[in-house]
Amino acid sequence: MVPPSSAVRGGARTRISEKPRWFAVRRDVPSKARPWFWIGAFLIPLALWSIVSYVPWIWHPLVLVTDVGDAKVQGQFSYLEADQLVDKADFVGRNAELAAAHAKLAQGIPSNPIFLPAPHQIARAFVTAFRTPPQLAGDLWLHQSLLHSCQVIFWGFFYSALFGLPLGILCGTFPPLARLVEPFVDFVRYMPAPVFGALAVAVLGLGDEPKITIIFIGTFFQMLLIVANTTRAVNGGLLEAAQTLGASNRQLLWHVVVPGALPQLYRDMRILVGWAWTYLVVAELIGEMSGISAFLYQQQRYRHFENVYAGIVMIGIIGLVTDQVLGFIGRYLFPWETGNRQLFRLFARLRGRRAPLVEAAGQPKPAPSV
Amino acid sequence: MIRISAFAFACFAPALFAACDNKPADTTAPPAASAATPAASTPAPAVASASAASETAGPPLKIAYSDWPGWVAWDIAMQKGWFKEAGVDVELKWFEYAPSMDAFSAGKVDAVAVTNGDALVTGSTGAPSVAILINDYSNGNDMIVAKKGIKTLADLKGKKIGVEVGLVDHLLLLKALESAKLTDKDVKIVPMKTDQAAQTLKSGAVDAVAAWQPNSGAALKEVPGSTAIFTSTNVPGLIYDVLAVNPKSLAARRVDWEKVVKVWFKVADFIKDEKNVDDAAKIMSARVGLTPDAYKLLMGGTAFQDMAGDILHFKKGDGLDSIYGSSKIVDDFNVKNAVYKAPMKYEEYLDPSLVDDASKSKM
Repeated sequence: MVPPSSAVRGGARTRISEKPRWFAVRRDVPSKARPWFWIGAFLIPLALWSIVSYVPWIWHPLVLVTDVGDAKVQGQFSYLEADQLVDKADFVGRNAELAAAHAKLAQGIPSNPIFLPAPHQIARAFVTAFRTPPQLAGDLWLHQSLLHSCQVIFWGFFYSALFGLPLGILCGTFPPLARLVEPFVDFVRYMPAPVFGALAVAVLGLGDEPKITIIFIGTFFQMLLIVANTTRAVNGGLLEAAQTLGASNRQLLWHVVVPGALPQLYRDMRILVGWAWTYLVVAELIGEMSGISAFLYQQQRYRHFENVYAGIVMIGIIGLVTDQVLGFIGRYLFPWETGNRQLFRLFARLRGRRAPLVEAAGQPKPAPSV
Repeated sequence: MIRISAFAFACFAPALFAACDNKPADTTAPPAASAATPAASTPAPAVASASAASETAGPPLKIAYSDWPGWVAWDIAMQKGWFKEAGVDVELKWFEYAPSMDAFSAGKVDAVAVTNGDALVTGSTGAPSVAILINDYSNGNDMIVAKKGIKTLADLKGKKIGVEVGLVDHLLLLKALESAKLTDKDVKIVPMKTDQAAQTLKSGAVDAVAAWQPNSGAALKEVPGSTAIFTSTNVPGLIYDVLAVNPKSLAARRVDWEKVVKVWFKVADFIKDEKNVDDAAKIMSARVGLTPDAYKLLMGGTAFQDMAGDILHFKKGDGLDSIYGSSKIVDDFNVKNAVYKAPMKYEEYLDPSLVDDASKSKM
């Protein structure tokens, strides 16, 4: 497309810097505009949803009957009742019957199925859900249930990381171990975690343990493989360089592999936390029902879909906030990758302030190596 | 084998650690110990309430219950403090129906609220139980809902019917077909999850569904023009809802279970009294997240059984007005539909003696 000669040499570069192009391959949005994109990411779906909900001629396949008209007229569609949601065709059919009989026509408002409540209904359900006090002695407020769910997630993910991270890093570092572990993990990770529900209850009882276990089963096996792969992706050049300098296995692991993989592992963990949440609803229904899932399931059974969506939104918000917080922390954690040493300087300063104390306490032990 | 045990270890290793967290008090036992016999072995934490403490021996009786009016009614006893009053320590455990049976099979609860038929099914998998109490029988809550144009059972011939195969409403459907001189060969049965009855009927994939409340009601409401062409009022007593107790617990704690039976009769008398309907509906609806008025509809389809009712329906007989007759029919149905292979000794699953004793020694 572009003539190869002059354009490539500097000419193209200057042109781009003068007038930023939005859609260029791998060119990020200018940093000032990024918050707007973030907001847009939410506003666009919300706008689409609002259009479908509030613009009467878009979708709205049903009619909410407000007035049945002359109920005495018998016909194929005479079953219409006030407050009923009927197919548009049936409503039209009924009015045709009524018109033929020269009777009063039925009235109705175009509506969506109950599976798609409008945004304001869900917003209202959201607020109501938090403000409704527990009805029965011994029941929990919704925020308490949510907190309970978060605890289940936390422990499930914690144990999964406790075992998955070290084992994954070892598998990614030492191929014999990987060949021994990974085939079986590959086999197990396809097993649906929920089917272990009854077994988990049988072994662990009715409390949180079986729920935590389901989340563990759901995340651990995936985590192990992902961690192993991330570890394998550590730059081989670094390892060779360290080896030529005579690094031992242990030194390679702790000074090259682990620091090399950590930043990406941290990002992997952010994604895997979301994975843990997907198992929550199944996990909380086994044993005694608990947490946000008990709320979701009960509301769904009685077809209060606005409450169901409100519950889903709550989970979404918790997930988003967790992810953003982790992302924020992540910016300060790995200076060797990001170049951001603020956190480390902070630590150094704190340590510096305490240094005299440490020296005073450590006096009887002069360093033997000197 | 090694792989499997390694996997099992990997799966349950977290539990060893989880046991260290501060949790609700009932789960403190380490996994190995809690997998052992449920009722008698664990020492009593002795947290029974003040006045009743002297009479209560052993840990609280754990009753698993789920979303059905006849069982949600237990909440009335709990909220009113009637268990304490009667001197028995009871913990109600709120479950989904199928997981409640799993928990009972695993010996994690002492009793479970089930239908008489499902007690047999649970028993066939190695968890025998004894029904000591009839809470209610379904009187309209179980329905066959057909889309518009289908007015009678005879119209079902050649039609598709959605039902959760092997569960109570499959039985209801076969009974319905029988009453219209049809068999399951004359219709096409489409397996369906009961809680998806409304969507399934609405989608047009089937011409009728068999389901219990609130799913049957949802189907009626969301599919305009649909009608209930057959309900459990046509066959009252086909589906009894009972309290099924672990036989070991029953043997060890018979006195306590008798108190539970008496508490139930108090609940039943309370519900049957017209002036308590609002109060009862308020407590029960709060458990399931409905408005009291909406819940009254569901209560109407449930024939709550008081002492007189229990005595009547626990009498041996072949008809559906006896739980023995009902269980026999269900047993035959289960064998015929390969839910389990050999007929069960259903009489061992029923024990009217606690009801009898309770009636002799009035509170």
